[in-house]
Amino acid sequence: MTEEPPLGQDAPPVQFDAAAPVTGQGRMDAAWGSTAGDEDLSTPVANTPAASGEIFSQEYKPWNGELNPRWMRNWAILRHHLLGIFKKGHRPWGMPTRLFILVVFIASLSNAGLTLISGLIGESTLHQLWGVSRDNLYGHVLGFFPRNVLYYPIIAALLVGSVISEDRQHGTSALYFSRPITRFDYVGMKFISVAVIQSIIVLLSLTLYYFAEIIALGRGWAWIMDTFPLFLAAFLSGVMLVFTYTSIGLALSSVSKGKFFPGIGLLSIVLGTKVLAVLVSTLFDREILYLLSPYDCMAHVGQTLIGTQPTYDQYSWTWSLASVIAMNAIALYTLSARVSSMEVTRE
Amino acid sequence: MDELIIKTTNLTKSYGPHVALDNLNLAVKKGATGLLGPNGAGKSTFLKTILGLIQATEGEGTVLGHDIRTEGDAIRARIGYMPEYDALNPDMDAIHQVRYSGELLGMNPTIALARAHESLQYVGIGEQRYRNIGSFSTGMKQATKLACALIHDPELIIADEPSNGLDAKAREFMIQTLTTTVQSGNRSVLMASHLMDDVERVCDNIVLLHKGKLAAQGAIEDLKAIDREIEIHVWGGATRLEQALHADGLTVRREGRVMRIAHTGEDTSTRILRCAAETGAQVRRMHEYEASLEDLFLVIMENLGYDVKSSEDLLASPALARKVDAPAHMGGGGA
Repeated sequence: MTEEPPLGQDAPPVQFDAAAPVTGQGRMDAAWGSTAGDEDLSTPVANTPAASGEIFSQEYKPWNGELNPRWMRNWAILRHHLLGIFKKGHRPWGMPTRLFILVVFIASLSNAGLTLISGLIGESTLHQLWGVSRDNLYGHVLGFFPRNVLYYPIIAALLVGSVISEDRQHGTSALYFSRPITRFDYVGMKFISVAVIQSIIVLLSLTLYYFAEIIALGRGWAWIMDTFPLFLAAFLSGVMLVFTYTSIGLALSSVSKGKFFPGIGLLSIVLGTKVLAVLVSTLFDREILYLLSPYDCMAHVGQTLIGTQPTYDQYSWTWSLASVIAMNAIALYTLSARVSSMEVTRE
Repeated sequence: MDELIIKTTNLTKSYGPHVALDNLNLAVKKGATGLLGPNGAGKSTFLKTILGLIQATEGEGTVLGHDIRTEGDAIRARIGYMPEYDALNPDMDAIHQVRYSGELLGMNPTIALARAHESLQYVGIGEQRYRNIGSFSTGMKQATKLACALIHDPELIIADEPSNGLDAKAREFMIQTLTTTVQSGNRSVLMASHLMDDVERVCDNIVLLHKGKLAAQGAIEDLKAIDREIEIHVWGGATRLEQALHADGLTVRREGRVMRIAHTGEDTSTRILRCAAETGAQVRRMHEYEASLEDLFLVIMENLGYDVKSSEDLLASPALARKVDAPAHMGGGGA
């Protein structure tokens, strides 16, 4: 143990290494600056000045992961389009489209809401008007006004407008086809994406409507057994509606480079042929032109499936079914032919 | 033996009577290779064929060991393609666009996002990755396209005109990035470009197509040997010396007092000096002229019957490229 020096006596001086003498120069420098430049005109500068102020180091980082198979690539396309409706970072659907989808979805649920209300307040008149029935199930899917004038065709037009045409416009088809994605997968996933969004509006709202009746009015198995075929028929009609609007819309999208033409084109085909057929029917009492109208053909088939009173009585519903099939075949042929011609090297 | 990444044997692609690729026998080694040729030479058809997007009419080929006729999907999973034209959605931000390009290859979304960050950092996009692509400059768009191609660390990157439309700084960075990818990343690049300087800086080898046929292929250094010249600067009696050199059987290109004489053998220098001594012309400077790829390209094109002063004249003019045919001795219909 070291002995402390007695009080009153000076402590021995601290010894420093001779190689590093303490001169106090460091403190002088800190207080007054270094002596550099005192005797000459040189200016002290940093030893390693930054060249351009950029902090960037380019380093190639390898990746040794495994690529997932075909289903994962297809799921990526579907996910990209579907999640784009709800969140950022996926397909950027326009704000008007998103808002309109929300509005139409809520509007499509109007009959479900009124059925619930009629059940809650026990108002039979309200239920007779809005409750589940053969005619109301038909009206939910294939009713002309407002659903097939203001809701479903406009939604379809907004959705299909740019789904394929944007890939031509922006050259993003190269992004798909320079990867292991076949044209069938590409067009198939785009088709399903658009159809799923429409199905949420048409078919999900139909299902909610049906279940709202069961819940609000406490319907039992007998009622369900009785009405379920009607619901299935309406559901099938909804599938036909969604499929037809999607195929015609995507065909128009595939022949265009913008989103305006496919949208307007679809509305013109759906509503224009309907108006023309109504005019001819009114003026000349000839219903044959309804065969050119996708909506009327589907309505005719839907009326037969659901069993409501037909409004087309000059020809058989099978003609309408054949017309719907022919329209879809033409649309799908156009779609496949146009997608086959999409380029990778230049568009 | 060098590893071959692309190999074709008698590859032919016809569109009706038009033959876009004519008996192409190619062997592209690992590393950086430039794909050159005038408009209509068959570059795009060649790229589509090796990507497995169109079927060859005849012949066969492999890319990274995969058959181009039957394994297009496998090829496209292992290569990264950077298109010449816009291939980005202007309404998306760069990070999500690159992530989506990875997802389209089958990458898990989380992994694709992590790789998208790395790729965009590598190509110099940095914090701009969160901006909409629509607000990007041409250079940033090109860099984003490259990031899309690099996201899965492909063995072969096919870059179609990577420096097209870029300013000097962006062009320099693109060239540097491709070079680093080859040298540090040990990856291969097949670069189609009209800019000879860029090809020369990135690539060791070239493939030159002309009217669907292979005009030249090999290492740039080796090919330059066909264009070896001796450059002399003359003072006084330049015309007399030029005539003497011609009389001696040498090929001379002259611009004022500067002449380039084709290297014909070891005694070429001696013959030049002898002619100079005989004509009394002073040779003030004499050195071997190192040809650039531009020179090489022009020589090859000259052999094919083109009369052009620069590669740009030819490559930027599809009309001229179509008009001039290869000479008969090279299989064409005559210039």
